[in-house]
Amino acid sequence: MNDYLHDEEEFTSRKIDWGLWKKIFSFMRPLRKYVILAISCMAVLALTDVIYPYISRFAIDDIITPNIENGTADLSKLTVFIGLYVIFMIVQATMVFLFIRFAGKIQTELAYNIRESAFNHLQELPFSYYDRTRVGWIMARMTSDSRNLSELLSWGLIDITWGLFLMAILVIFMFAINPILALVTLAVVPFMTLVSIYFRKHILKAYRSIRKVNSKITGAYNEGITGALTTKTLVLEESNFQDFDDLTSNMKNQSIRAAMIQGLYFPSMLFLITIGIALVYIVGGNYVLANIGFSVGTLYLFTNYVWQFFEPVNNVAMIYANFQQAQASAERIVSLIEVEADITDRPDVIEKYGTLFDYKLENFEDIKGAVEFENVSFKYQVGEQVLTDFNLKVEAGQSIALVGHTGAGKTTIVNLICRFYEPTQGRILVDGSDYKNRSMSWLHSNLGYVLQDPHLFSGSVMENIRYGKLSATDEEVIAAAKAVEAHEFIMKFEKGYDTECGEGGSRLSVGQKQLVSFARAILADPKILILDEATSSVDTETEKAIQVAINKLLEGRTSFIVAHRLSTIVHSDRILVLENGKVIEEGTHKQLIQKKGSYYKLYTNQYSEEMLELSLR
Amino acid sequence: METKDNNQPKKHIFKMLITMFKWMGHYWPLLILSFGFLYFVSYARTLLPLFGQHIIDVILTNPSEASKLPTFLANLLVSDTKMKELLLAAGMIVALAVFRALFIFLRRWSSGYFGETIAYKLRNRLYRKLQDANYYFHTHSETGDLIQRVTSDVESYKRFISDRIIEVFRLILLVGLSIWQMSKLNTDLTFISIMIAPVILAIAAYYFRKVERMFTVIENNEAKMTTHVQENVSAARVVKAFANEPHEVNKFKNLNREFTDSDYDLAKKMSVFWSVTDFISFMQFCLIAVFGIIYASRGIITIGVYTAFLAYAGNIIWPMRQLGRLVGDFSKSTVAVYRLTKIIENDGEYNDMEPNETPEIFGHVKFDHVSFKFNDSIDDQIIDVNFEVKKGSTVAIVGRTGSGKSTLMNLMVRLLDYQKGEITIDGVPIQNIEKHYLREQVGYILQEPFLFSKTVEENIGIADKNVKNDRVESVAKIAAVHEDIINFEKGYQTLVGERGVTLSGGQKQRVAIARMLLKPKPILIFDDSLSAVDTETDIQIRKALDKEWKSSTVFIVTHRITTAKEADMIIVLEDGMVKETGTHEELIKRDGMYKNIWEIQSRIDFQLEEGGE
Repeated sequence: MNDYLHDEEEFTSRKIDWGLWKKIFSFMRPLRKYVILAISCMAVLALTDVIYPYISRFAIDDIITPNIENGTADLSKLTVFIGLYVIFMIVQATMVFLFIRFAGKIQTELAYNIRESAFNHLQELPFSYYDRTRVGWIMARMTSDSRNLSELLSWGLIDITWGLFLMAILVIFMFAINPILALVTLAVVPFMTLVSIYFRKHILKAYRSIRKVNSKITGAYNEGITGALTTKTLVLEESNFQDFDDLTSNMKNQSIRAAMIQGLYFPSMLFLITIGIALVYIVGGNYVLANIGFSVGTLYLFTNYVWQFFEPVNNVAMIYANFQQAQASAERIVSLIEVEADITDRPDVIEKYGTLFDYKLENFEDIKGAVEFENVSFKYQVGEQVLTDFNLKVEAGQSIALVGHTGAGKTTIVNLICRFYEPTQGRILVDGSDYKNRSMSWLHSNLGYVLQDPHLFSGSVMENIRYGKLSATDEEVIAAAKAVEAHEFIMKFEKGYDTECGEGGSRLSVGQKQLVSFARAILADPKILILDEATSSVDTETEKAIQVAINKLLEGRTSFIVAHRLSTIVHSDRILVLENGKVIEEGTHKQLIQKKGSYYKLYTNQYSEEMLELSLR
Repeated sequence: METKDNNQPKKHIFKMLITMFKWMGHYWPLLILSFGFLYFVSYARTLLPLFGQHIIDVILTNPSEASKLPTFLANLLVSDTKMKELLLAAGMIVALAVFRALFIFLRRWSSGYFGETIAYKLRNRLYRKLQDANYYFHTHSETGDLIQRVTSDVESYKRFISDRIIEVFRLILLVGLSIWQMSKLNTDLTFISIMIAPVILAIAAYYFRKVERMFTVIENNEAKMTTHVQENVSAARVVKAFANEPHEVNKFKNLNREFTDSDYDLAKKMSVFWSVTDFISFMQFCLIAVFGIIYASRGIITIGVYTAFLAYAGNIIWPMRQLGRLVGDFSKSTVAVYRLTKIIENDGEYNDMEPNETPEIFGHVKFDHVSFKFNDSIDDQIIDVNFEVKKGSTVAIVGRTGSGKSTLMNLMVRLLDYQKGEITIDGVPIQNIEKHYLREQVGYILQEPFLFSKTVEENIGIADKNVKNDRVESVAKIAAVHEDIINFEKGYQTLVGERGVTLSGGQKQRVAIARMLLKPKPILIFDDSLSAVDTETDIQIRKALDKEWKSSTVFIVTHRITTAKEADMIIVLEDGMVKETGTHEELIKRDGMYKNIWEIQSRIDFQLEEGGE
């Protein structure tokens, strides 16, 4: 199973995979309008950026120089200058305003689209997926990966279009003004590009490896804190500290190295740009001296243009490097969205009963609750055969206790009944018909499932109980709580049913969580009930309440109980003792005790301690 | 995740600045050195426009025009032909760039070295602090919160001292030197050049403060959304079993929309900020240009000076927004430092008063009227506990949950320190024994042991890095975990924890026992450390121990009567007091709690036959 766990570092290919990016770009299709608008803004902005120094040239060549040469102070053209400047300012500010909005729109909506399709797909995935994928892995896809990608594809792409436009327009302008000076100036640009790409790559690489060490340091802190008592009892302080120091000094050295690489990057670019400027002064200066109509203003223009190359070159290099990195994010997101759901309803079943998100309640048949396993075999994707030719017939309304060691197959049977997994061979019949002939929603809306570690959601107690039947009124919710004896403790809370349960129900005690989950199940009023009983012990009062609640819960339903409590087992209609996926003993409690077989042995070992705990209370 | 500690009073800011400085230790001269390098960098940068002025005015226009370059530089550029002068000027510009590049590099290197070294020292110091923090600290703090502090708060401190301070200084130097250079060119124009700039600074500072609040909203919305995903994924069974997928999808859609919209709101605010400040910045440029044109037209300044002014204006106007941002979120760094001081200033287990006695320990333990209470409670948790244990004997401690069994054992290794009475080992009060030494002698096995994310072999051998394989195997055999380990795919090389195999509770406990057995211990404490192991294995382990660890004194906290039964002495604890002591035989003769338990245990068989509860 371990090999199956998705790992963070597994995707690190270097070549740009166009097929992959095509899939990611498909998320942008609905945003085409904004992309076109944003790119248009950038084109205009690039143009204004190039024109801007022109206004200064106008001032130098058309106002100042004539005045100096003629000894006049003619400022009539100043209004033209101001007019030009104001137009420039308005266009520039408007474009900046618009492009940030469009890029923001693209970024946020793209992330929205990615997250939405990932989440919807998650709902369709079968349980096996959740069993082999860590929650953290999924969370990272939904948060940091989708963010990285959407940022890159919005701001990054816009930076790149701006950069390319700017460079193109610059080249055109420069050639139009003076081709030779243009060639001289452009001579440094290829070097700038090479230097940029070289440094950007190395900077990225350095930071990536720093991040790796950093996550190790975080891990070490985590171990240091959670394992603090263990460290103390084993007197490992010094040796732990040595290990930690190895990590932090590694981090220090790498970070300094990264700072140095970064410290070399800008100076190198500066050097190249200055060479460009020096060339402009030499060549352009000669033009001015030669008196062939090459003005001082034009010289000034060219020195500005050399600087203007810096940003786009830097951007293009940075985004090129980021794209390589973001490819890992893209791969991970696509891998999440493209996992095939291996348990789905057949097309004809969907036709009749509707999809998972939109089911046709009017076509749902009533259910009685008879369950039958017919020659069922099952094996998980990895691992051994769990069930072989398993047969079991349960009448509607019977309660079945499943007993046995860990790994005997109890959970598997439950998973199969819930259709979290499907049999690899054989059939499971509900009311005499293969459950694959009906939709999963049909089965699940008639099934109640109470977990040993009950999962509550953040939200009020009321909302949590209502989760069993979303259309239930407050009265129905309260009635359900009363039925399982949860009402009393809920009312003891200051806010009663409006009490917040906290994330995962963390603000309630284990026993309280169990009672709330019972209420949730009884509200759903399922015909088939799965009860995966808790092993953890609770205080005497709650324990009593739970016992009563369980008995209430089981009334009139077919139930399968992965049982741990003595009284639950004793009260069930049939006890199945499982070992290696086979029923080795079956009967009522009395029958099995008299038999003095495996059940008896299991019972004496496991439950004598429970007795002791009870007696000590 | 912002923590609740943000409501620190503002008056802390000055104190925090002092703390920031203190943490620099003797590295602070490096900061001054960085400032020094920065000065040269900025000075060189403000020379560049003067070269432009020199070339335009002196070389290209009129040799008699005054060069604004420092005289020694201007003199270097004088030659017999214009062409040579141009070449010289260009060469000087490149030389200046090389000079500037060198200092930029030196500055980066020194501030990088400075920041990283201090962060390194701080990380190590925090780690030590966390390790040495006492029992109380560890049971009363949230791991997630602590980790947040020691990682991201250290990071923001580092960024503050190595990036932000220097950035602020750089911007101030650049602005200051530019203004100084300008003022030498023309005073009136200088005033005009800095007229609107402060407005930009104020707007930026205000904006970045404001926007901070939006970040909180966005973070909250994102947190709500991720919580939903997290719950949905970890409660997938519940979702599916109730067929509530449509409900989940809808809820997610709403949360996703809310988050997306708040994120877009930020973009909207940004669009206003950047366009407005761009507009104002260009207004300032326009103002300079207009006045510059007028002055130049009237011959008050030259064209070269005019272009120099435009360049200096850029040096002043563009940094304003950046400066405003740094001012705006200055308080964030002090919050980080404030939170870190909470860890740094916490008293650890060790102080100067720590005794250094290391007497030879054989295992004769005596509790002499020991009482103990936690700092934050009124009543004693351990009350007048009095007993004596001879070397080599086995003591079982029974009692219900919360009766004080673990607390009593914690006292023996000084994870907690008693207030009254005395615990002595071989006659020496344990408060006189050096803690590390004491814990090396007294092996304490926790009920919920922690395994490090290393291989099984490394975990067992953790107390002795030079241990031999066969030694590891032999202790694993005593702890009855050898069979389990060799059944793992990678045997002893199996990785444990987060990134590796998850061991069952019983396997973890047995690995923990094995690693404690690596070195001989005169005293061993099992704090309910076999609770997750089945009864048969429990017996097997104890038998093996009896054989190999005969001379050690063993304390066993247990729920199992079968375990307690075989001890040389049984201590029954209730509400922190010793209720009964004696051997099994003695205790079942008395009409006490132990006898009661024993009888219930024996009754179980009978009950089983009857099939009742």
